[in-house]
Amino acid sequence: MADMTISGEYFRGIVKDNPIFSLVLGLCPVLAVTTSVENAIGMAGAALFVLLGSNVIVSALRKQIPPITRIPMFIIIICTFVTMIDMLMEAYTPPLYKSLGIFIPLIVVNCIIIGRAEAYASKNTVKYSIVDALGIGTGFLLVLVLIGAIRELLGTGAIVPFGFKLISIPITPSTFMILPGGAFMTIGVLMAMVNYNRIRKARKGGQ
Amino acid sequence: MEDSLFSIAINGIFVKNFLLVQFLGLCSFVGVSKETKSAAGMSAAVLFVMIMASVASFLIYTYLLLPFGLTFLTTISFIIVIAFLVQLVEFIIRKFSPPLYRSLGIFLPLITTNCAILGVVILNARLDYNFTQSLFYGISAGLGYSMVMLFMAAIREKASSLKVPEAIEGLPHAFFITTLLSMAFVSYFGVIPT
Amino acid sequence: MNPVAIIAGSAIVIGGIGFLVGIILIWASEKFAVEVNPLVEEVNEALPGANCGACGYAGCADFAEKVVDQVAPIDGCPVGGFDVAKVIGGLLGQEVKEAESIYPFVRCNGGINCTDKIDYDGIEDCKAVMMLSDGEKGCSYGCIGRGTCVRACPFNALEMADDRLPHVIKNLCKSCGICVEACPNDILVMANDTEQVHVLCRSYDKGKVVKSVCEFGCIGCKICVKNCPADAITVTNFLAEIDQEKCTNCGQCIENCPQKSIMMRELVVEAVAV
Repeated sequence: MADMTISGEYFRGIVKDNPIFSLVLGLCPVLAVTTSVENAIGMAGAALFVLLGSNVIVSALRKQIPPITRIPMFIIIICTFVTMIDMLMEAYTPPLYKSLGIFIPLIVVNCIIIGRAEAYASKNTVKYSIVDALGIGTGFLLVLVLIGAIRELLGTGAIVPFGFKLISIPITPSTFMILPGGAFMTIGVLMAMVNYNRIRKARKGGQ
Repeated sequence: MEDSLFSIAINGIFVKNFLLVQFLGLCSFVGVSKETKSAAGMSAAVLFVMIMASVASFLIYTYLLLPFGLTFLTTISFIIVIAFLVQLVEFIIRKFSPPLYRSLGIFLPLITTNCAILGVVILNARLDYNFTQSLFYGISAGLGYSMVMLFMAAIREKASSLKVPEAIEGLPHAFFITTLLSMAFVSYFGVIPT
Repeated sequence: MNPVAIIAGSAIVIGGIGFLVGIILIWASEKFAVEVNPLVEEVNEALPGANCGACGYAGCADFAEKVVDQVAPIDGCPVGGFDVAKVIGGLLGQEVKEAESIYPFVRCNGGINCTDKIDYDGIEDCKAVMMLSDGEKGCSYGCIGRGTCVRACPFNALEMADDRLPHVIKNLCKSCGICVEACPNDILVMANDTEQVHVLCRSYDKGKVVKSVCEFGCIGCKICVKNCPADAITVTNFLAEIDQEKCTNCGQCIENCPQKSIMMRELVVEAVAV
């Protein structure tokens, strides 16, 4: 573990182990809440809260948890934080709570969080688990905001997070982007672009 | 809630289809829909677990959480129940029917973290459905999931012999097919006046 | 409700559910226990886990079971190769000998050089093409070039090149042999590195017919047979076939073949490693 650095682990979470494009986990919320940048940020924030909390606790208790019961233990730890953020959002951010709907409690079965607990937090120190959570969380945020921006911009003609009009373009927007079809198409195109890049790199690297 | 059983069924299968409209259960969808055989196994497992989970979670919500004002324990108790049911069913199937285990048992552990299952039971609780309504919603959600899963598997099996640009092969291709399927379901919007 | 009641209530409810669930599962795991040989688990761990089916069984777990039952041979996993066979041999307490590595070889040089008989527009699958009046090419025995073998390879070790023939990427090939089964015309054959000389043709058509559709096809003239010092070549039905056991890789047949149908493996473009 001597070659692990904080910045190295952080950026790994964003690029190499990008939760959506590399690990292909946690697709459900990505497509469902990216109808606007505001929702995307909200979801990413909630997920980061849970990810941080669970990574810290799992890492702190990693020597105490018997291996055979680890998955149920992880789920229960994650559940605690999910219930917390659920109640906090219901109280302090009602409009966001309403638009995210059932996807807040569904963070508990988000493969990203369980996956990180299993693959990273249970095997590394608290310090690096925090960094990993921040890295993966940032990766998640970037992807969510990217897709949310595309869908909101092309779907409504403007990006308006939390009441601030960020940018608007003078095209006729199409509600298709807000509908499920738009979600699938956006992520299909983005994945194709990522694949193309990967194949090109592999070809160049091999020769 | 006043929803009739019929409207619950139409909602669950078509209007608010779990996969294509509500975006629940997608990870398993893109992973397992490559061949009809595994898609059929997964669908059967999902339907089965959805029915059991709907019943069990309804009982826990109505008789244990609501009366004592502990509704914040919904998420955690539901997930415990789902994990428990899945594990129990896996034991039983593995013991009593090895062929059934080989075809559908291997999907059971994947279902524990499937958003669709937890989604159904949480929706049942949030929509305040009674026992029959909950059961019906569970069945309809499972049927809707199976239907889309089998469509997708049939299409993807045929599509696998098509020549597509390398960057599109695999997941992006699956997503484009899903786009078309989901747009077909948009025509059901408004069928049930809410 | 006061905080103590809430905490106590939550603890009781969740603790109670958890306890009940735990008890039932412990009981169930004993009552519904299935006999599993731990050795099978150990063998399964040693396997590559690709579940490609090259061993002929339904995935790695199945092969592990069959190996422990002594139904499958210890070196039956071509993907794992000698290394895995050695580990399995160690687990079962048996010796394993080293086997040579084998790669598929394409026994056709037609591709774009072979004329088309019909203008095919359908499913991109060699088997499908062959079902349609014996293929689209003038030579009905040759490589069709629609890539069924490429798609069949679980390790992406085959590539369709511009000459409409498949090429093997040696460092990705795991010698599983699935491509050989996938080809409807038996074009691919598994050959190891000592088998250097091959006839690049599978056509049993008469010499004149072969020459009219392909400039590299074997016409069955038997010049190679006469020139072979090891008597390793036989011509059956206008097609020369080399007996690899007798062949010494001397290359005499290659020099004398008027059609240039026989080739030394290394010179064939197939060794395009990435």
